[in-house]
Amino acid sequence: MKHGLIAILPLAAGAAIYGFAFGLLAAQVGFPWWGVGFMSAIVHAGSSQIVAVEQFANSSAIIGAALAGATLNLRYIGIVASLSEILKELPLPLKIVAIHITGDENWALTMAERARSPSIGAPFLMGSGLAMISVWTFSTIMGAVVGTILPDLEKFGLGFAFTAAFIAMGRSLWKGTPNLIPWLSAFTFTVIAVMFGLPQAYAIVIGATVGLLFSCFIRVKQGRLP
Amino acid sequence: MSESHFILILTLSVAAFSIRLLGLLIGDQIRASKQVWILDDLPGLIVVSLVASSLADQSLQAWLTSAIALAVAVRTNHVIMTMGMSMTAYAIIGLIYPF
Repeated sequence: MKHGLIAILPLAAGAAIYGFAFGLLAAQVGFPWWGVGFMSAIVHAGSSQIVAVEQFANSSAIIGAALAGATLNLRYIGIVASLSEILKELPLPLKIVAIHITGDENWALTMAERARSPSIGAPFLMGSGLAMISVWTFSTIMGAVVGTILPDLEKFGLGFAFTAAFIAMGRSLWKGTPNLIPWLSAFTFTVIAVMFGLPQAYAIVIGATVGLLFSCFIRVKQGRLP
Repeated sequence: MSESHFILILTLSVAAFSIRLLGLLIGDQIRASKQVWILDDLPGLIVVSLVASSLADQSLQAWLTSAIALAVAVRTNHVIMTMGMSMTAYAIIGLIYPF
């Protein structure tokens, strides 16, 4: 668990930037700092929280705002499903905790590390997840309290750190040429979806789904599917 | 904090967690089926889509830096090294060509 907790720290620093930004936004629409922290701890879904709070600020429609935010999290069906093997030995209460503290960053890092070392498993996922949810919650609180006096950290390239990290994780997950066409199609369709104005979270679901369809098609053509 | 704020937080948390729970149930079912290849392919596809979504509406500076990040990742296969080199490259490219 300690391994995961330490390994995720550089990524957690990047998440803190978005945490500050969200905390600031939420405070501006009437959430107190403790309410922001409470939300971050029990929802733990960055983009969903941002959209829900934005929608709430614009319309005050609670259910609509919550659903708009939650649908942005649909990729977690695939993310959590892919953890099935890692979580299979855990008792149900720990599984529940594990899937709650799983975010994009610690999930991707766990999968990338596991591709290199199969001994990486649930302890790594949970250690890194605990670090991420702690940093996320704390940074959103700090954003609500002191966000207005901070400089724009994006211009120093810190916002790009996430993209670079995901590229490196993709490298670890690369299994050779059978991945080429599914990965290229996932990339292309995601970019197209975003360029057509779709929110990024939906574009990710579309891209991954198209990639799966291509992978299925190739496997059928090669007779690798029963 | 008003009652509306509280209801929003609770509704969002239930909805977000239900999605995760659905993933857990689906994952167990897929693992026990002949479609287990999906669980092998899905992580890479989601990571690629995450990269694509963050680059789609970005500047040439970000795309050039991504190419450098990819080269560093292929060469080193190291997350922290790739992050460090990429952020440095991002800053240098920004200084040379202020996009």
